[in-house]
Amino acid sequence: MVILGPSGSGKSTLLRCINHLEAISDGELSVNGFKVNDKKTDLNKLRQEIGMVFQHFNLYPHKTVLDNITLAPTRVRQIGKKEAEKTAMQYLTKVGIPEKATSYPSQLSGGQQQRVAIARGLAMKPKIMLFDEPTSALDPEMIGEVLDVMRDLAKEGMTMVVVTHEMGFAREVADRVIFMDEGKILEMTKPSDFFENPKNERTKQFLSRILKH
Amino acid sequence: MDFSFLDVYKDSFIHGFVTTIEVSVVALILSLILGVIIAIFRISRVKPLEWFGTAYVEFFRNTPLVIQIFFFYFGLPSLGIDLSKFMVASLGLAIYTSSFIAEAVRAGIQSVNKGQMEAARSSGLNYIQTMWHVILPQAFKIIVPPLGNQFINLVKNSSILALIAGGDIMYAADEAAVDYDVIPIYIFVAGLYLLLTIPLSLAVNFIERRWAKQGSR
Repeated sequence: MVILGPSGSGKSTLLRCINHLEAISDGELSVNGFKVNDKKTDLNKLRQEIGMVFQHFNLYPHKTVLDNITLAPTRVRQIGKKEAEKTAMQYLTKVGIPEKATSYPSQLSGGQQQRVAIARGLAMKPKIMLFDEPTSALDPEMIGEVLDVMRDLAKEGMTMVVVTHEMGFAREVADRVIFMDEGKILEMTKPSDFFENPKNERTKQFLSRILKH
Repeated sequence: MDFSFLDVYKDSFIHGFVTTIEVSVVALILSLILGVIIAIFRISRVKPLEWFGTAYVEFFRNTPLVIQIFFFYFGLPSLGIDLSKFMVASLGLAIYTSSFIAEAVRAGIQSVNKGQMEAARSSGLNYIQTMWHVILPQAFKIIVPPLGNQFINLVKNSSILALIAGGDIMYAADEAAVDYDVIPIYIFVAGLYLLLTIPLSLAVNFIERRWAKQGSR
């Protein structure tokens, strides 16, 4: 699922409501059988099943790549250090940088950092992965390597909610596209319909501006 | 310069030197623990905790240390709480210093990018785990210099023990000053404090440099 829309349209806010990084002021939201808006919901339990990748990576700068990935599995899931490190190495291999395990985040390029962040999210074996503009802070030539990882994940059947401005990615990978503006969902449809046959006026305007260049 | 007072008071000074070190070490550890707890209270969203933290900081850093020590030493016994001089000194110094440390720690915590908290919490870590593993290590890296200042102040402030006959370095000096010329005594005593504070300064500088290197690795 890909969420598209102009800046300030509420895409990130919607995404952040899913794991309650943003408080829900009104209405109901159920994720994985958890009532997110309910005050009694155990947010830590809810969040264990939801991985999140941020625009600015948010890796822990004082920890090595490996420690970044094993922190939550060892502390939240109570997995032994050895086993957590083995799993971490599997995911680092999956995102293509196992040789960086003992590096610190500041020694990595933006693209590498974001791939570590994805591995960190996956290491908790979540049911859903949230991506909040994962390529917006990257140099153009590093966008590809991150999108490749995400594409593979989608192919393997991971449930993903992605806020992005990468139209090519949305078109190719998404099962569904949501278009938002001014805090409202204006359209929710298959990508083929969305890009070739948009119904909403605002959608048409948005696409014509974006696809021109 | 006549240092002959040492012939008579050598043991007093050795005892005082050890007492000052003991009180300082205990107070230093306690003030660090208290300072972190109060700092977390200060930024808590739970209002009563925030109020308590603020009141604590404003009260203890804005009243003289002498009054606080006298209160613990002379005041508490009348309430039925009788603490040893060592306890009064350690506790008093720790509480006083922790109010300054709390402010430094709070500033450090607030200077850590809020994305760090979001990343840790979204991975399922609870608030305390996030503070302990993610936020505080980064905060401490930033606040090493002001923390060092507080520790040095603490060692020097321990001289207040002399006022309650606490048997520290300064108390030994007061004893010796009764019979001997005070100038050599005070120069000697200042030297003893420097013997404690200069290594502390160097240690703080060393830690600051080492941690800075680690961050840019």
